[in-house]
Amino acid sequence: MSSHSTPIPPSRGPVEWSASDAVKVADIMSRYPTKQAAVMPLLWLAQDQWEWIDLDVMRLVARTIDCPPSQVHAVASFYTMFKKAPTGKYLIQVCQTLSCALVGAEKIMAHLEKRLEIDDHGNSRDGLFTLLRVECLASCGSAPMMQVNDHFYERLTTETCDQIIAGLRSGKPLALPRPEVDEWTFRVS
Amino acid sequence: MPKVKINDVEVDVPAGTNMIEAAALAGVEIPHYCYHPNLSIAGNCRMCLVDIVGGRAPEIACNMVAREGLAIRTDTPNVKKMRQSVMEFLLVNHPLDCPICDQSGECRLQDYYMEHGNYDSRGIEEKVSKHKRQDIGDKIVLDAERCVQCSRCVRFGDEVTETGDLRLMNRGDHTEIGMFPGERLEHHYQGNLADICPVGALTNKDFRFQRRVWYLRETASVCNGCATGCNIQVCHQEGEVFRYLPRRNDAVNKSWMCDHGRDLVPGIAGLNRILRSKVDGQAVDVEAALSSLAARLKAAKTVGVVLGNRATNEGNWALLQAVRKNLPNAKVYAVAGNDPGSVEFADKLLIDADKNPNSAGVRLLAGVDGRVGDAADLGSALGSIDLLLVLQDDVLGRLAGHGKPAAVAFLGVSKNATSEAANILIPVCHTVEMDGSYVNRTGRVQRLRRAVTAAGDALPAWLVLERLGAKLGAAPGTGMVATAFNAMAKVVPAMKGMEFKALGDAGLPLAVEPAAVAATEALA
Amino acid sequence: MDFPRILSGNWDKPNSHTLAVARSCGTYSRVEMALKKAPSELIQIVKDSGLRGRGGAGFPTGMKWSFVPGPEKRGNKPVYLLCNADESEPGTFKDRYCMWKDPHLMIEGMIIAAHAIGCKVGYVYIRGEFRYIYDRLWEAVHEARAAGLLGENILGTGVDFQLHIHLGAGAYICGEETALISSLEGEKGQPKLKPPFPAVEGAWHCPTIVNNVETLAAVPWIIQNGAAAYKALGTEKSPGTKLFSCSGHIRKPGVYEIPLGYPMKDLLEIECGGLLPGRKLKAVIPGGSSVPVMTPEEVYKCTMDYESISTVAGSYLGSGGFIVMDDTTDLVDALTNLLRFYAHESCGQCTPCREGCGWMYHILCRVRDNCATAEDLVTLKDLADNIHSKTICFFGASAAMPVQSFLLKFKGEFLARIEAASKGIPAGSSVTSPEQRVGA
Repeated sequence: MSSHSTPIPPSRGPVEWSASDAVKVADIMSRYPTKQAAVMPLLWLAQDQWEWIDLDVMRLVARTIDCPPSQVHAVASFYTMFKKAPTGKYLIQVCQTLSCALVGAEKIMAHLEKRLEIDDHGNSRDGLFTLLRVECLASCGSAPMMQVNDHFYERLTTETCDQIIAGLRSGKPLALPRPEVDEWTFRVS
Repeated sequence: MPKVKINDVEVDVPAGTNMIEAAALAGVEIPHYCYHPNLSIAGNCRMCLVDIVGGRAPEIACNMVAREGLAIRTDTPNVKKMRQSVMEFLLVNHPLDCPICDQSGECRLQDYYMEHGNYDSRGIEEKVSKHKRQDIGDKIVLDAERCVQCSRCVRFGDEVTETGDLRLMNRGDHTEIGMFPGERLEHHYQGNLADICPVGALTNKDFRFQRRVWYLRETASVCNGCATGCNIQVCHQEGEVFRYLPRRNDAVNKSWMCDHGRDLVPGIAGLNRILRSKVDGQAVDVEAALSSLAARLKAAKTVGVVLGNRATNEGNWALLQAVRKNLPNAKVYAVAGNDPGSVEFADKLLIDADKNPNSAGVRLLAGVDGRVGDAADLGSALGSIDLLLVLQDDVLGRLAGHGKPAAVAFLGVSKNATSEAANILIPVCHTVEMDGSYVNRTGRVQRLRRAVTAAGDALPAWLVLERLGAKLGAAPGTGMVATAFNAMAKVVPAMKGMEFKALGDAGLPLAVEPAAVAATEALA
Repeated sequence: MDFPRILSGNWDKPNSHTLAVARSCGTYSRVEMALKKAPSELIQIVKDSGLRGRGGAGFPTGMKWSFVPGPEKRGNKPVYLLCNADESEPGTFKDRYCMWKDPHLMIEGMIIAAHAIGCKVGYVYIRGEFRYIYDRLWEAVHEARAAGLLGENILGTGVDFQLHIHLGAGAYICGEETALISSLEGEKGQPKLKPPFPAVEGAWHCPTIVNNVETLAAVPWIIQNGAAAYKALGTEKSPGTKLFSCSGHIRKPGVYEIPLGYPMKDLLEIECGGLLPGRKLKAVIPGGSSVPVMTPEEVYKCTMDYESISTVAGSYLGSGGFIVMDDTTDLVDALTNLLRFYAHESCGQCTPCREGCGWMYHILCRVRDNCATAEDLVTLKDLADNIHSKTICFFGASAAMPVQSFLLKFKGEFLARIEAASKGIPAGSSVTSPEQRVGA
């Protein structure tokens, strides 16, 4: 979280919006009464495009909305979901807040750390995964849970974790919101 | 004028006053970090929490606008405890490095801790570490660990310089003040960041480690860097000036001054000062130099006299008095423009293109005199002048390329093209070495105060010129600057009714609009 | 138990998120009805219904709407309606289902609310982690636009309302309404000073109303059935139904819509299916992690409404995040877990919260690890008191209340750790076994 503990990764060089992104940029800007309000949607767009937000991406966003790059940097640093460094192909975020913790989030976390051979920086040995602890993802009724990229995997057991990891390793696409998401009550057997 | 009550003191305050200012009017100090009278309200430090009589919860005084009947208390056990706890929170992640911190002595953490602190520290947790000793600009060093996240510097960059350079990054107790990586402060007002920083996070490179502030004495004066005339405190010890600080005057410079002004400090005692009187290259005392000057002025056929845009009103007044009464044939000039080597820069904020502190004063006196020639007049006459008497301005530098007078007498502070050409050279005081007054670009008459003793043999120009006048045949002056000013004010219509004493710290506006001041130039 | 399901009635239907299914369930049938009414009439109906904000503060919705200055006062300034879909209070997950299962109901509520307050452009601020719902909301907006339900001249009534979806990026504080506004404006999500209040000066310095998803979703039913019908549900001061997000040590975690005033014991034992076999109730957090914890005795006395929880247990209904902890729970761990959350989520703007949350967390870590002294507990309590109500927004109190209430109601557990520490017993050996431990 602190910029002090995470050194700023090397730049990948200046970036520009592609023609198709430029259309999206214009659409985003049209939604708000000020240019500055577009900073978060543009950071999202940029993150989709370049995977993580480096200084050159911040400069591009700042130019686009006509504000100092420091403003974009401050915004990017405030929100945890803007990646300020590269991650593995699959970013696994395990919720560790109370409701999940009550029903075994730590066990899931420990299992994943071991299974994925996670190093001190949260990356798996094969580089495919980055594992993070995160705070409440509003999935408390279907705890314990983890988010893999944009997808929620809920009511986890060590067995289902293994299945999910095996699926991802074999190149299976990320699940669409699973049936669990379509249920709002869960009977514990 | 709503009437509010602070503790037991009732006070009428102007509508729109916040309760920190209202309390100050009632003689009650409400401690604060983030509040600054010339910046927007942030309300983040929570040091100014006060109890509202009849209120449910404490509120911050900075965001509370005075309204009729509002009563607050700052002396309750609850307020005492809130202040103590805010201090405790601010210090829990603050490094204990006062002995090596240059803010010591003017640090609000220190000051308020003595008054409101919890002396038995409970902070035993490990502190959050942040970036230290960052070189973020020509004038500023940043130590993020010392920052209390008050956001004054952020607001200064957003609201005053509009550069938006400093930002608080991250969040929670990892919140850290900083610049965009790789960027530096690029504006001309960096010194203010160190001034408004209530702690040792932003310090001034030029001043840090030069002197502990508790040794310094402060004298209220005016910057001589340009026509704006920013109000300053001259900070000095034992005759040495260590820094200028801006002094709040909302009619002139609010609480700010530019870096160019601060950069003038080293020049005060610099190698370029003129320290001794000289006549034809021979060092003499001032008295001898003045006698020679008086003799040569009387002997010369064509005498040119140049008023000083860098001199005080009293100096120019004394010069006009000496000349007009005793040398009826002398021609008087005022040469607008900047001395060679000036920082040619101007902006809309404070930095004026005219680098002379008293051009408006010269225009005013010239207008009253009615017979003063300008730069063009002097340029064309220069080659035919037998003796040119110049007060402070580098006139020969300004008029380089024109003819040369047969002889030059220069009453100046620093060496320049005119001093190099001078046959008679007399040192006069720097702004910080004398009392007097300037008129700034908006027509405000502002007072200088003597902060340090003069370098070398320098005397105030007005005093030197009073003596010269006496040698030329005028009645001796009183040797009192106030008398000189008051005499001038009686004659100058725009200064009608002004008294030197009444100029005070904030100065007084001329009785005419600035536009009229400018118009007198045309008359001259 | 079977209760009228005002908010969750359509959730069982297949493809309930599509416009076609939503319309077949009656969604959008109230739009025309509402747009024909004068804004003041709509505000009066909602005022009379007694609907209170479901995001946590429970402020009367109709009254909030009435604070928007009229056209004569606000001049040319637009009015903004913001839907707070930043659902991030630990223990709360109802809005997620509202939006996932029935996005059109929320949109219908927004159209009606927008008309009531004179708003032409609205935004849904949805938390970044709900990106899959964000996509679904845009689909719903596009469907509604195509059907003439959003945009200019809605259903030929002459009323305009544009709706945009804004994706957050991971910050709990953005659920606070002024922080949400800051975030929408493109700033860090930091709360603003009040006054001015958002209804007078909010987003882009214009009058702004921020309502929770569930609040807005309740509006169409109220307009259709009238204030009296809504008041007939629930209690006198807490009318209507509410979604409760139930989690923790229960057999049937999930979202339940029940009328306010329902016994907490019944919610626990009937809807939630009770505790796991052989377990005993230890504590309940009734309204999301920020509200004071309750003891079993209090739970059995309380009903699920704003007043009862407050008078019986000194706690709050909050967002309705009902977290149940049984006798296997280590409450020192549980509180430490919560404080880690608050230390991580403090926006860092004002002093007591910025510095205090991390400090309280560090002390709790030492208590948990059997490394603390009795003085640390005194300090902890004092810090919580020094944060509560001294901050810019309610976050400070939200972090302080769990500490204050756990220490008050379960002091024994904390003292046991202090005693263990004084005897040199390492953490996890005798006081608490590893499988009992909650959080890290």
